Amino acid sequence: MKKQIAIVEDEPALRENYAAALARHGYSIKTYGNRRTAMQAFNARLPDLAIIDISLEDEAEGGFDLCRDLRALSAELPIIFLTARDSELDAVSGLRLGADDFLTKDVSLPHLAARVAALFRRIDALRRPDNAAEIVRRGALSIDGEKMQTTWNGAPVTLSLTEFWIVHALAKNPGHVKNRQQLMDAANVVLDDNTITSHIKRVRRKFQQVDAAFDAIQTVYGMGYRWVE
Amino acid sequence: MSIRLQLLIVALTTLVLPWAGCQYAKELETALRSSQEQSLLASAATIANALSAQPQRVFHDAEDTQPFSAGAGDLYVYPLVTQPLLDGYRQDWDVPAEPTPLPTTTGYRARLQAGSTEGFLYLFIAVDDSHFDAEPNDVRPDVDRFDRVNLVLDGPNGRETYFFGTNAPGLIAAQSVVIGEDGVDRVVAEPRIQAFWLQTAAGYHLEARIPLSFVGRHLWVEALDGRGKGQAGFAADSAAGGRLFFATPGLDTLLETFIGDGTRATVIDANALKLGSAGTVVSKKRGEAEESEPIWYRYFLGIDTSDMPTLPVSPDHLSGESVSSALHGRAHAQWVLGGSYREMRLTAAAPIVIDGHLHGAVVLEQAADQLLALRDRALSRLFNLTLIATAAAVIIMFVFATWISLRIGRLRDAAESAVGSDGRIQLTMPESASADEIGALSRGFERLLARLNEHAQYLRTLGGKLSHELRTPLTIVRSSLDNLESEGLRDDQLHYITRAREGTQRLQSILSALGAAARVEESIKQSERVNFDLRELLVSAVAAYRDGFPGTQFALQTPEDPCFARGAPDLMVQLLDKLIENAVDFCPKEGTVTVRLERVPENYCLQVANDGPLIPEALMGRLFESLFEQRQGGDDKPHFGLGLYIVRLVAEFHGGTAVAANRDDGSGVVFTIMLPLI
Repeated sequence: MKKQIAIVEDEPALRENYAAALARHGYSIKTYGNRRTAMQAFNARLPDLAIIDISLEDEAEGGFDLCRDLRALSAELPIIFLTARDSELDAVSGLRLGADDFLTKDVSLPHLAARVAALFRRIDALRRPDNAAEIVRRGALSIDGEKMQTTWNGAPVTLSLTEFWIVHALAKNPGHVKNRQQLMDAANVVLDDNTITSHIKRVRRKFQQVDAAFDAIQTVYGMGYRWVE
Repeated sequence: MSIRLQLLIVALTTLVLPWAGCQYAKELETALRSSQEQSLLASAATIANALSAQPQRVFHDAEDTQPFSAGAGDLYVYPLVTQPLLDGYRQDWDVPAEPTPLPTTTGYRARLQAGSTEGFLYLFIAVDDSHFDAEPNDVRPDVDRFDRVNLVLDGPNGRETYFFGTNAPGLIAAQSVVIGEDGVDRVVAEPRIQAFWLQTAAGYHLEARIPLSFVGRHLWVEALDGRGKGQAGFAADSAAGGRLFFATPGLDTLLETFIGDGTRATVIDANALKLGSAGTVVSKKRGEAEESEPIWYRYFLGIDTSDMPTLPVSPDHLSGESVSSALHGRAHAQWVLGGSYREMRLTAAAPIVIDGHLHGAVVLEQAADQLLALRDRALSRLFNLTLIATAAAVIIMFVFATWISLRIGRLRDAAESAVGSDGRIQLTMPESASADEIGALSRGFERLLARLNEHAQYLRTLGGKLSHELRTPLTIVRSSLDNLESEGLRDDQLHYITRAREGTQRLQSILSALGAAARVEESIKQSERVNFDLRELLVSAVAAYRDGFPGTQFALQTPEDPCFARGAPDLMVQLLDKLIENAVDFCPKEGTVTVRLERVPENYCLQVANDGPLIPEALMGRLFESLFEQRQGGDDKPHFGLGLYIVRLVAEFHGGTAVAANRDDGSGVVFTIMLPLI
């Protein structure tokens, strides 16, 4: 059965482009122009994944409300914010509401498709027994590449998809400096320097919530970041 | 010319006040003089009228119309104030005039003067006679020769002849030849006519006293030398001889009743001889009058007296235009210079006409000093007041002008610095609360600045807005291209797709550059401050730049030990990025970009220098403004003048400053960031 993806986007051209691209990857796509129609449909049947724009027609933050409502309906449903708004505040708000990823519209369609695929893969992985082969361990860190789960000293660290891929890229080769471009490639995303910086900042903070002494991600000024054990 | 100077000059026009005061004072004086003339003329006319009503008290001899002729021996009899002592000297006569020379044909010189008191006629005869010829005893006047003075009086009993002679100087009596009852002429002394014979070095003086009862209208005086060598005067039988012109007794007292202080009234007869006078002209010395007054304004205020006639002074008669005019029947007033100090005086003369005949005139004299004093007082007060007023006006104007120009200066300074070198706009101007034009100007400035600020604000946010608003359409294009590509295209079609994709990529980078400042501002808001090692940051960043810009040489100079600063290292790296990008852009090939960190008092001094072209002075202050871009050159990267603005934002976030300067030797440009030590 085809996975069903809901796209809530008030810009029709963009909506159709996303829909066409994802449909090509074999998904069944439902598109909605505003929060009201989307919520009606979600109440009837939940999609397998939702891609939401933040500003919806006349509601500047309609996407946030929709995300909250959707999360109330289902805790596991993957939600991706796809928005023209790139402020850090929006990203933080969106992720805090339980979105799995926060993408700006700079993202290319193949990247978007990769993310969607990754999220579905994770859902599948979560339903399957553990596959130790996919687990990367670096000291206190353990990363489950299949389930996209991260733990530090055994405590789970909730990362968005982009964050997960960044941590994954860094931790796979400890001591190697990953520059921003490499991190972007790893995360299947086009981001500017500031956004990478804020992602790193957010990742550090999330680890520090688990372990205040966390200091494994080191900034190499002018070059990038590296994972130190 | 500054406003202050202009207003000061305008204030100087108040000097017209003293000038107007002067003009007024002059007019006042003219009016006062004219009124003084009028009143004095009126007084003169009044006195003349009064006198003409009682001619017997003025003119003792009203019939004689022959004019006075000194040449014919006519004598003015000076009124003597006190009874003189018979001593041969006339000093006690107190008559300022010299005796009149008697006519002579022989060079024998004699001089005569007459005076009178109430009861006596006095004669003073001075004769130049080097040899004294004494009168012999038992003199025979017809035969004997001796120094003698003959006197013929036209008395009430007919003509009487006397002679004076003596054998010893001293008090003598007149002698006359009397035909006795026996028909023999005898010389008898007339003891009522006394004289004093005084021998002097030049000759002799004879001072004689004759009771007025002996004296008639005429008088002949002749001096004869004892040796027959000379003669002067008028022989008794000559037709010519002296008429005596007496002042009128009692007239002085009468006149005194008419006049007030400071005025002299003189009555003259038709010959202009003084019949009587009363009063004195009170006159101050000129010098005294001026001492108390400042001379400087008299200099341009004083009346021009140079064309005033000088009043001739003579003790026996009056002269001058007024007098002659009055003696022709017309009252007349005139300003003259008179008195011993040649001060200004007013004379007014009015004719005395009795029964249609002109008999004489009343002449009044008054000093102008009273008038002058009055004028001077008024004037000096006026002058002082207007000068004080002018000075006050000038000072007030000056203060006011200073105040105005201070306010305008403040406004100007504020206007000049309203747009700071960092592009920030000061929205409030001084003086904007004032209700006057300067306040209005200030408010106008404020409105202008507010609009400018809105505009600048708009420009500042325009980049962010544009990059945001254009993102959606750009995404549509790009996602369409993605879709198109996925549909499977022919190779020739793929070219177009590739080009379109390149175009969108460029658009993307333009938008990203446009929004950069907004993003930095955003991230500055979110940034946390931590302590970091500036030196370590520089070392690793410069290493990265060496990789990133292989065409450019980098030199790094830092202190040996760690340099801890407080702030956001990520932002600091961005600051460095922008400075380095800028330096690399401008640095010529083979040039070096020098990064230097050193400690100066209280600050780290971070310098990024390049060997590139110098910055024009005019642009120096504006480099760090938002959207300021003055770049020639053709690299294809978009520049929106945000790089150095970001540098400034980051430097300010760290509590520091950013400055650009040309190297002293002109070899390049140095950007200096000062960051506080911790």
